[in-house]
Amino acid sequence: MNDQPLDYSILPPDPGGARPTWDPSAAAAGLIATAVLALAIYSGSANLLHFDAALVGYTLATLFLAFGATYRLVTWSRSPAARRYLSKSRKALLPRPLGDGTLTASAREVTSTVLLQRFIAKRSRPRWLAHQGLFWGVILATLITFPLTFGWIHFRAVPGTGSGYYVYMMGVRAAHLDALSLLGWLTFHALDLASLLILSGGAYFLWHRWSTRGNSLTQLGRDLMPLLALMAISVTGLALTVSSVFMEGAWYQPLAFVHMCTVVLTLVWIPFGKFFHTLQRPAMAGVGLHKELGVQKGGVAQCVRCGEPVEGTIFLDDLKQTMGELGLGFGDWVETCPSCKRLERGAAYRNHVKEGYR
Amino acid sequence: MRRALPVMAPGIGSFRKERSRARTKPRPREERLVETHCCYCGVQCGMYLRVSGDGKVFGVEPRDHDINKMKLCPKGVTAYQQVNHTDRLTTPLMRDRRDQPLRPVSWDAAFDRVVSEIQTIQAKYGADAFAVYSGSSLTTEKCYLMGKFARVALGTKHVDYNGRLCMVSAAGANKKAFGVDRAANPWSDMLETDVIMLLGANVGECFPVATQYFWGARDRGAKLITVDPRETPIARTADIHVPLRPGTDAAFCNAVLHVIEREGLVDEEFIAARTIGWGQLREKVREYPPERAGKICGVDPALIEQVALTWGRADKAMAFHARGIEHHTQGVNNCLTVINLVLATGQIGRPGKGYGTITGQGNGQGGREHGQKSDQLPGQRMIEDPEARAHICRAWGITDEELPHKGTSAVEMVHQAERGEIAGWLGICNNPLVSMPNTDRIARGYDSLEFHCQIDFFLSETCVRADVVLPSTCWAEDEGVSTNAEGRVIKYNKAAEPPGEAKPDWWIVCEIARRLGRHADKFGFGSAREIFEELRVASAGGLADYSGMTYERIEQSGGIFWPCPSEDHPGTPRLFEQSFAHPDGLARFHAIDWQHPAEEVDDEFPLRLTTGRTVAHYLSGNQTRRIDALVQQTPSPWIEVHPDLGYSNGDPVRIVSRRGSATYPALVVASIRRDTVFIPYHWATPVAANLMTVDALDPTSLIPEFKVCACRIEPGVAMDETMPPPVPPGGQSYDFSRMTDRQPSAPQGRGTGRG
Amino acid sequence: MTKKALFIDPGRCIGCQACVAACRECDSHPGKSMIHLDYPDPGNSTAAAPTVCMHCSDPVAPCAQVCPTDAIPIDEQGIVGSASEELCIGCGNCVHACPFGVPKLDLVEMLQSKCDMCYDRTSQGKLPMCASVCPTDALFFGTQAELMQKRPGVQAVDIFGFGDETVRTNNAMVAPAGKNLDRIPGGYSREPDSRE
Ligand code: SF4
Ligand code: SF4
Ligand code: SF4
Repeated sequence: MNDQPLDYSILPPDPGGARPTWDPSAAAAGLIATAVLALAIYSGSANLLHFDAALVGYTLATLFLAFGATYRLVTWSRSPAARRYLSKSRKALLPRPLGDGTLTASAREVTSTVLLQRFIAKRSRPRWLAHQGLFWGVILATLITFPLTFGWIHFRAVPGTGSGYYVYMMGVRAAHLDALSLLGWLTFHALDLASLLILSGGAYFLWHRWSTRGNSLTQLGRDLMPLLALMAISVTGLALTVSSVFMEGAWYQPLAFVHMCTVVLTLVWIPFGKFFHTLQRPAMAGVGLHKELGVQKGGVAQCVRCGEPVEGTIFLDDLKQTMGELGLGFGDWVETCPSCKRLERGAAYRNHVKEGYR
Repeated sequence: MRRALPVMAPGIGSFRKERSRARTKPRPREERLVETHCCYCGVQCGMYLRVSGDGKVFGVEPRDHDINKMKLCPKGVTAYQQVNHTDRLTTPLMRDRRDQPLRPVSWDAAFDRVVSEIQTIQAKYGADAFAVYSGSSLTTEKCYLMGKFARVALGTKHVDYNGRLCMVSAAGANKKAFGVDRAANPWSDMLETDVIMLLGANVGECFPVATQYFWGARDRGAKLITVDPRETPIARTADIHVPLRPGTDAAFCNAVLHVIEREGLVDEEFIAARTIGWGQLREKVREYPPERAGKICGVDPALIEQVALTWGRADKAMAFHARGIEHHTQGVNNCLTVINLVLATGQIGRPGKGYGTITGQGNGQGGREHGQKSDQLPGQRMIEDPEARAHICRAWGITDEELPHKGTSAVEMVHQAERGEIAGWLGICNNPLVSMPNTDRIARGYDSLEFHCQIDFFLSETCVRADVVLPSTCWAEDEGVSTNAEGRVIKYNKAAEPPGEAKPDWWIVCEIARRLGRHADKFGFGSAREIFEELRVASAGGLADYSGMTYERIEQSGGIFWPCPSEDHPGTPRLFEQSFAHPDGLARFHAIDWQHPAEEVDDEFPLRLTTGRTVAHYLSGNQTRRIDALVQQTPSPWIEVHPDLGYSNGDPVRIVSRRGSATYPALVVASIRRDTVFIPYHWATPVAANLMTVDALDPTSLIPEFKVCACRIEPGVAMDETMPPPVPPGGQSYDFSRMTDRQPSAPQGRGTGRG
Repeated sequence: MTKKALFIDPGRCIGCQACVAACRECDSHPGKSMIHLDYPDPGNSTAAAPTVCMHCSDPVAPCAQVCPTDAIPIDEQGIVGSASEELCIGCGNCVHACPFGVPKLDLVEMLQSKCDMCYDRTSQGKLPMCASVCPTDALFFGTQAELMQKRPGVQAVDIFGFGDETVRTNNAMVAPAGKNLDRIPGGYSREPDSRE
């Protein structure tokens, strides 16, 4: 390009993030997932017998979520890197020949990365606590509301007790609960507890965002929206409790509608925004273990230039294949460590471009 | 079970993270920018300090100031980290006997002790038995105050400052040749020149930001000549590099002038109109043909011819030098030979034609011209000049009998202490246990003192030997002016409150003066501004005339060049356009003979040791050896040796001189002469470079010969360990353990590939 | 109107590491330095070379392409960011795929970070930290026209060769004007013996 001005006008498409092109096979997968979920709802609620018609909005949103999330997962797993690691992650976590320690290793891996998110604690402890609040709040809420909504669980008053309930799961009576007992109280207020967990975690993140400067590129547009959505759900949910417990049901109907709107929006948003990480990360939970096992099995490759360890041989082979599939023609360059890549380029500049100042 | 960390390839994990986790926290949203300048070298780069809503300095923002145009070196970038540093002194420290540890005491207790010790010592041995040793990293107000304090409050003639270890040779030469001591041109003049000669100045490392002027000149086609025993970063790409033997600069310059004279390239017209002494000088340089100088300097005579022709044929040329030619027993003479060259070719007093020394300390220029130098009074007045004395006595309201006469120089004062001639000592803003030559003897000098008080904001290696240590402010906690290497006066602004009980230096010194009682009324200053107002009056009519400057004017402009005799005077960026500062307006040539350095090599000590700075550290390192980024870049010193000497990188090499020895890791580089080794001097015993250096002084400037002494090297056994800098009682000293290897990749430090 | 970019000239670099110290002062990545400063000819000379992300445009950001979780964001200008904290699993693919050796990886936090051209600054019209402080303009930030005006006698080249492959980048290298260069050698060639 020598004397022409640098031409930046043609920008290549964004390889990461949402792919704009429509993918029919992923859509088919999404439709299948939606159908399966619909079927489960139908049969789990005894052919819609226990299905609460007021919750139809929630159900539709969930059906859309099933479609969208599946579609995203499928398109995502098309990228060579993701496909390779999804399968490696799965293989590493699956306890193949029992007794070689893999089972405990994968259990440990899942606990530490998926449930406890230890890597966040390493980045910042308060952040980790806040994230755990969000995480367990969402898990708790999901575990309760989804089955309730789909009619998979429902309660029926034990006649004559006033506070006794039978709990029905998938249409079968499974337990008896006294609403005035501790367990009963917890059960009926579990959603409030979840809301509080989410609100405290969310408050920390909001405060952190508000009081500090941060990297706007990695947080661009993706950070606040999901957080606000979760907090809106929690606030409106709590408001419902307040309305029914302290205000004798005043404003209950409009509040319930607002609450539903927040939930529906959030569910619909999951496949697109930052929420998608809640699906991506668990899917990749086994990659660390895979790398570790790979090093045990295949050993470590030495830099072709300085002889220092670069990475596991198997890791590098994976990467070379991925790069090959992506059409990146310098796959073998990975055998040189990053430091030596820079030194080699520096030397090449000195040898072939210019030695010194001019 | 804890899992082993995954494989870590070289150079991917080097975030150079800060030590304290608290600092890696994201930055506060609310901030205020405070305009100020860097506290370190003579460039005095402009910068903004970022101050949070609750008044804490938490970062730096580049500032587009005339001097540096946003640029900063690694020291400048991290300078702000001194402000809230955990090592800061926050209370006065004291001990009753030297074998006790220092303990925190109240200001009153500390002052009572200082005052009674001063009174006892002066009563017992006379006023001159108490010495004041100051520094040039102080603001000009404080430097001025230290001179006044010593002479008026203590009545001692023993006052000097650490610029004595720095640029006094250039100052002496400038005075002799031009009649005034200041760089002749603003650096922007460089952009118009055709040839730049740089002697003994590792600009890339010691004044990194000045590099842009050199590169700017080269972008416009100028040629760069460097003269240095080491091929430093700025010399690496120079058009001509002269790797001469340390201590032979005068011979080189004489030979260059020899060729220029022989080729008829001198500017006869200029010589006739504006100089005195050419005849004698011409005879002298005729004794220095390139062949002779080539032998002395250990370089090819053809190189000398080449330099001479490049310089001599240039339409416009400029010469700059720094400590490399000044730190010699012939330091003044070396500078004079450069000035001879400049004058003989008429290369001065015009844009693109000029000369200057590059001061090493931030306020090296301002600090030496307002009366803390043993032979000077404010305004660059000489203390033995009756007229000057009369002016200052009037300004200060004292009589001539009350104003002491000329004292001795810094190193001499420590030697006097060793001999018992000086018994009490107040040190401020210096760390001679690292910075003075022949460290062991310096330590003996300090240990012989009956009383030693040191004022500082970090606990230096010198502070830990003192009886009383008083906590002062760093540059961001007070305001004041500073004069950079160009002679440009700039202003520091206050960005934060001092930590704990720390107090501004001027407050401490005034408080001592008030409690001493002698002329107590002359130390009633309530702010730096009040001192500046008095300094303006005191400097009025002197060579370094600041009387027309006000804080407001300085801040509104990009700095004001002295002399500036009235409030409507624009200042004087370029000197010598019409005349020189001698009464007759003419410049002086000096016929100089090259002399051997104080210590020549012999069979026992066949190599030359030269010392200097590295880019990540500043002077004695009391400030920079505590800043994480800088320590990670350069954690400890090394010895630079030529490949032919048969060592490999990292080998322990023991260096021995007549005064001391130490073992360093080798850094094997082809960029140094075979007959020379180099050690950076920022660290303390047992790895202090000054353990080896010779304490011989230049007869005129009394600067020590840091840049050359005789030594030998031999394979070492165990490396001497670099100690972390001292910390106040209860503090935590720097933990080197995060660094797996401390070997530098290059003289500029460890590449990030090393972590 | 051409875009602003970083123009890198190792010939001017004095190896002072101001860029390294300044990098961590940017609010995009406080306390962490993303730039690399290497001494490519140790023992022989004081030569130094800075490495920032070149923000590859063709092929677009190999680092982002090999990322299994799409963690590396790219904005409309082609600025390639640090991995998103939520998505990055610390696998290291990007670190080794980058032909320039740019991304860094914190193995404790399991998080990649890399030079993002001081996104918080450049998106507000400020200079990246490294280029604002670089005392020698070895790192120069501006338009190509600004560069040419300041330095007659240079050209900017934004194509690198790695073996037979080329990588085009948003940032560029500075080379002497006369030199006929269709690409800057990236240091990699398939034949080991052709390396110097
Ligand atoms: S700041 Fe500039 S000169 Fe200094 S090391 Fe970095 S690129 Fe080189
Ligand atoms: S230089 Fe490396 S890190 Fe930067 S965009 Fe290209 S591949 Fe990614
Ligand atoms: S280390 Fe992080 S950013 Fe890099 S490829 Fe792996 S997941 Fe992506």
